[in-house]
Amino acid sequence: MEAGALSTPVLRARRNRKDRIGDPLLRGLSGLAAAVAVAAILGISYEVTKIASPAISRFGLGFLTVNDWNPVTERFGAAPFLYGTVVTAGIALLLAAPLSIAISVYLTELAPQRLRRPVATLVDMLAAIPTVILGLWGILVLGPFMRDTIEPALKSAFGFLPIFSGDPSAFGYLTAALILTIMITPIITSVTREVFETVPGELKEGFYALGATRWEMVRRVVLPYSRAGIVGGAMLGLGRAIGEAIAVAQVIGGAYGIHASLFHTGGTLAAQIAAQFQGAPNQLQRSSLAYLGLILLVFAVIVNVIARVIVRRGGLEEAEFTPTEAEAL
Amino acid sequence: MTKRLLSVGLALALAILVAACGSSSGESSGGSGSPLIGAGSTLVAPLMSKWQSDYASKTEATVTYGAIGSGGGIDQITSRTVDFGASDAPLSEEQFEEANAKGEVEQIPWALSGTVPAYNVSGAPENLKLSGEVLAGIYLGEITSWDDPAIAKLNPGAGLPNTKITPVYRSDGSGDTYAFTNYLSTISPEFKSKVGTSTQVKFPTGVGAEKNDGVSAAITQTDGAIGYVGLAYALQNELSMPLVENSAGEFPEPGVKSVEAAADAVSKIGPNNEISLAELPSSAAGAYPISTYTYVIAPLESDKAEALKKFIAYAIGAGQEFGPDLDFAPLPKQVVAAGKKAIGKIGS
Repeated sequence: MEAGALSTPVLRARRNRKDRIGDPLLRGLSGLAAAVAVAAILGISYEVTKIASPAISRFGLGFLTVNDWNPVTERFGAAPFLYGTVVTAGIALLLAAPLSIAISVYLTELAPQRLRRPVATLVDMLAAIPTVILGLWGILVLGPFMRDTIEPALKSAFGFLPIFSGDPSAFGYLTAALILTIMITPIITSVTREVFETVPGELKEGFYALGATRWEMVRRVVLPYSRAGIVGGAMLGLGRAIGEAIAVAQVIGGAYGIHASLFHTGGTLAAQIAAQFQGAPNQLQRSSLAYLGLILLVFAVIVNVIARVIVRRGGLEEAEFTPTEAEAL
Repeated sequence: MTKRLLSVGLALALAILVAACGSSSGESSGGSGSPLIGAGSTLVAPLMSKWQSDYASKTEATVTYGAIGSGGGIDQITSRTVDFGASDAPLSEEQFEEANAKGEVEQIPWALSGTVPAYNVSGAPENLKLSGEVLAGIYLGEITSWDDPAIAKLNPGAGLPNTKITPVYRSDGSGDTYAFTNYLSTISPEFKSKVGTSTQVKFPTGVGAEKNDGVSAAITQTDGAIGYVGLAYALQNELSMPLVENSAGEFPEPGVKSVEAAADAVSKIGPNNEISLAELPSSAAGAYPISTYTYVIAPLESDKAEALKKFIAYAIGAGQEFGPDLDFAPLPKQVVAAGKKAIGKIGS
């Protein structure tokens, strides 16, 4: 009886009050959160530009092409670090993307059911290793191994190529690129694995029904269906590789030049900032480092935009793919 | 749901309010009770932590110190976010100008140590003898093999391997780089013109590593490597150190004693209390050639002037007794005297 008396009008009144407070509050709080994020990115860009402005006005855009970094003569340029960033992140992506795709294919299509979860968890855990630990491992284990085994082998097989010439060294572009590969493989893997899992079972079964082998099914169904996701995962990994500072600074060998040999020591934008910002002896060097930071920021935005464009285009193709394939089936 | 949202909002507001109050009260009170805050040199950090605990037990005054590196220390004192800075390299003219923009600052030498080369060459004798010229040649990329005649000449009879030399340097800003390049620039005009003296320089060859432990790891992992680290770090980690020839033609063992001998041999204190131990007289027997002072940078005007004066006076006075255990040499008398004079200028 009481419940009945309380029912509709009271509840409605309560709900109305809830609506009046709850919705605007939710909107306000979530809007505030979004505003904080936007303000943070704008604020950071503004601050970095402000710190960098003495270097910007002194060196201008020529900063991008100057191949020097000399704190004593105060001649600073971004070219060695741009080059190092492109080379190390590029190699890392070239190695990590196929590796991640292979891992994901194994985990979603080939591995025995009871192996899938533990292996996937272990791959994910690779991403949990603090980068400074990975860098230390790079100095103590990977670097010497590169110098004594991998690099001499590369040199004897492909020494005629300039990128594999020169003296093998524990510190350099190649060691840094391998550390980055280890770092971004779990990131790309976790994205591609998720995407592979969304491939509809009917598509796969239909393809098998047509007499396709596993390899044909993966090549003709899983990979095309997941293209946008693969690119997205790869770009996520690339972004991480471009921005990684500490581990790279530990193993790349902090040199300020452009060298064709991958065995040579070098530097990247992020690693240079991490290594020198705190100890920069004067304002010009500090602002030149901030200028490097600005370039890194722009670089990251460009990579992001390219990724979005590819994903969007891929997404359209994906939409086209499903009906036509369905028709074929 | 509304209640939860409300309470979360309230809690947030409260937290912000508390944080705001906390920071404003921290800034406003500049009285004797608030701790002195300093930042800078990592080299002086072990000595500083001894000073902090001992000073606190004697005077009940707290000193907070952030070992963020010399460059960071100079930055922070320039913008006055700390009460004092600490730097392993004396301030350059430009740095003085920047720091003086908010009122004059001065630097006072308050600890004395050295920078030592360390090497890892299998087949080479222990305590290999090197000279400043050879070190400069190695870091200029002109001496590239351990059996180079210049090294063989200093080590007659020693079987030197034909291993490639890998010079290792600090890729971050460092007082050790300053001391090392200052020494090499004094010895070699070529090094001075091609590389120069600074906490960060561009070496024409070699491998850069971060911090003392990065350099030491790079050395131990590379056959044929030579690098430079802080004296205390090298002694405590038992790195193999070559002996470096001093101006008297001797090869003193790196340590507190030889650093002290170097400091005793230099009586000249430069403008701004800058003292370079790179150019030692040939009469300086037993003096270690790459010795260096590390400095405190204090503003002359400060609302904590009294506390600052007391602490610096303690550091260059009673505080020096902790030095030798941590591989710092005690300051010579004339430097302490100059320091006391400089302290007098603070807050007057």
